[in-house]
Amino acid sequence: MNVQFKKGVLELCVLVLLDKQDRYGYELVQKISEQIAISEGSVYPLLRRLTKEEYFTTYLQESSEGPSRKYYKLTDKGRMYLRELTREWKEFSNGVNQLIKEGVSDE
Amino acid sequence: MNKKQFLNSLDESLQKLSSDERQDILQDFEEHFANGIAEGKSEEHISASLGSPNHIAKELLASYLLEKAEKTETTGNIIRAMWAVIGLGFFNVVIVLGPFIAIAALVFAGWASSIAFIASPLLVFMNVILNPDTFILFDLFFSMLLCGLGLFIAVGMFFITKALIHGFVRYLKFNTKMVKGGLKHV
Repeated sequence: MNVQFKKGVLELCVLVLLDKQDRYGYELVQKISEQIAISEGSVYPLLRRLTKEEYFTTYLQESSEGPSRKYYKLTDKGRMYLRELTREWKEFSNGVNQLIKEGVSDE
Repeated sequence: MNKKQFLNSLDESLQKLSSDERQDILQDFEEHFANGIAEGKSEEHISASLGSPNHIAKELLASYLLEKAEKTETTGNIIRAMWAVIGLGFFNVVIVLGPFIAIAALVFAGWASSIAFIASPLLVFMNVILNPDTFILFDLFFSMLLCGLGLFIAVGMFFITKALIHGFVRYLKFNTKMVKGGLKHV
């Protein structure tokens, strides 16, 4: 995939995972790496950046196993940003899919 | 690499950050390790999936320096942020350094011409002192016209420079978002 889209895609993945429920870092990383190959460590710089840009807030919660976990919660600003990114992604992927379809049927 | 080596290496690469911020980052990774270990993974396996601590540090530093450049738009801050963004990937040399050189050249040319225009009456006077017999009135009036023009350009350049610097910082930010993300190079 084009390098230029990598980070945008990861951002969208993180945002979309937080839309329905709050999650902690490790959980986010696992969910994403189940679907696509990522260097898991890059998710954390991304989470910090998006938190600074006020798309998330964070809170700590005790867990039964191990230390307390930092949960990420999507803010209204983050939700708006998610809508925008989703729309852009759909337009983009529809366009590419259409081209692939035409390409295949021409052969 | 085990957990200790990973965290130490990350800590070392993040010396430029405040110790609060560094602690906070290391805490996130401690938590990541703890969760992985609870699932029965080995420290080596977890750190291998995380990727190079050096690269993670680079991304963190780039956003830190960018934030700093955004807050106080000094030349030093912007250049440091630019190098950090370029450091994220070779590709960035072209798409970051290129526009920067173009913008810098434009700003430099604008200021240089405005200063030269403003200074032109002085040059006429110097000419009169050095070669008194070559003075023509046209030179004086023309240089005064240039001087006025130079003042206008200077005022314009003041705003243009501000806008360009602001735009460039935003462009850098956009780049850290889009370029060189976390997907593995397959």
